[in-house]
Amino acid sequence: MTEHLNTALLIDYLRRELPPEDDALVLAHLEKCPACRREYEIEVSLSDALKTAAAREEFEFPSLVAARVWEEIRNARPSPLAQIAAFFRPSFAVPLVAAAVLAAFFFATPFGQRGLTPKINAAYYLEAHAAQQAQNPLDERGPAAAQLIETAALDTSAPTELADDVNQGLAAPSAFDAVR
Amino acid sequence: MPFAKSSFGVILAAALIASATRGSGSAAEDRGSQLLRQGMEAPRTVSYVGQLETVRFSSSRANATIVRIWHLAPTMTRRWYLAPEGLYNDYIITRGSSSYQFDTKKSEVQISHNPVLDDQVAAEDSLSRILTNYRATIAPGDIIAGRPTTSLILVNKFTGERVMRLWLDTKTHLVLRKEEYHGNGAVASETRFEDLRYTNAIPRELFSTDAPTGFVQVAGRDYAMPSADIDRVIHAAGFAPVEPTNLPQGFKLASGDATTVNGVRTLHLTYSDGLRTLSLFENATGAAADFGALRPLTIQFEGHDAQYVEDGPTTLLTWKEHGLYFALVGDLLRSELLEIAKSVVP
Repeated sequence: MTEHLNTALLIDYLRRELPPEDDALVLAHLEKCPACRREYEIEVSLSDALKTAAAREEFEFPSLVAARVWEEIRNARPSPLAQIAAFFRPSFAVPLVAAAVLAAFFFATPFGQRGLTPKINAAYYLEAHAAQQAQNPLDERGPAAAQLIETAALDTSAPTELADDVNQGLAAPSAFDAVR
Repeated sequence: MPFAKSSFGVILAAALIASATRGSGSAAEDRGSQLLRQGMEAPRTVSYVGQLETVRFSSSRANATIVRIWHLAPTMTRRWYLAPEGLYNDYIITRGSSSYQFDTKKSEVQISHNPVLDDQVAAEDSLSRILTNYRATIAPGDIIAGRPTTSLILVNKFTGERVMRLWLDTKTHLVLRKEEYHGNGAVASETRFEDLRYTNAIPRELFSTDAPTGFVQVAGRDYAMPSADIDRVIHAAGFAPVEPTNLPQGFKLASGDATTVNGVRTLHLTYSDGLRTLSLFENATGAAADFGALRPLTIQFEGHDAQYVEDGPTTLLTWKEHGLYFALVGDLLRSELLEIAKSVVP
């Protein structure tokens, strides 16, 4: 697309009526051709001006006529079929179906298997255990047990190789060297 | 009757030797027990500043903690964390049973209460249980943090296993180093002072619990005092709990607590042999454990799909059976916990 874009093409682009590949080509051309971009901006402003003018020329529906139309609408009784159809409108049907699903969930699911049953955070068990252990004056974790549990849980570092040795009783007397 | 005379002499000599041996063994045991008591009571009388390092070993990794510690006897302690990285620069001030945990990254201070932290009766019970179940043997000590120590080895009277070794300051009896061992002899955890200075001249401001500017105060856990009146606790739980029938020798039901966790009535039974503690949690409302960031592994026993996680040497094992949900926590090997879990039969 080395030539300049014609007005028809620019208007189609403006109205998003071009096929995607042409739309992309026009966009690419506009980005590197100041003359066509200027032309395009003129088309944009002209289009806006026409829309504004058209809006100004729209006539109000005469109020008396509008009132009579609304009165007719209100007085019109829907047919039985229309009433049944209205029952299935989303505003009615969706809450009804949701209520039915919830009722089925609560009454049909065996107790103890419901998804809404609360769970107990596993960290609570570890913390409550550590809190009890803290009564032993020889326990060193003290009140920091909760934070240490949380920190250890978030620790994504690779497992320590020496720990296996330590657990097999093969570690050196000073196991601190393994983690320094 | 020369024979009678000589045999009488031999018997008398043997009796005297046996008596002397028993007497010296008993005296050594008494000295070990006395040293243990002194070690447990030392923090109530000794003030110090030091650096405490702890490593807790699980089956696949080791978690290290380095804490700068200021302790003003009897009950004020400030712990400033240097490691792990996640706790760096955070600090905890303990005053009796209250703990103020300052999270410098979140700019918040969490206040918790745990009555057992300052319960002398519970501490005395612990000592009594330890002396019932363990033999405290004195061994040569090392120099720890520049201080001469006396070592104390705690051996289980039932199994003969060495469960803990302590190194106590020869003069102050403060525990300067501690090693805990699993039933198979593996090291479960090690704690020791790298640096220590005894002093009473610790500025009181270090123990100030005022929140620094910009810190938000949040409520932490408020633990109830566990009760030894198990019948009352079980009644408060509102369901019939199940107890393990197979516990390691020396473990006894020590206390219980019925509390509501996330809307779930939960019973917490604590078993202890003095040194080690085992917790059994039960609920009858179908509330399983939510492991969140913890990464549980699945294990099967007697047809149950159980899950477990390790926090250093502490293992948490959870499973359900006949509508009851169980969680077992203890510094025991996973195989030992499984044996206990098998004996919890509704």
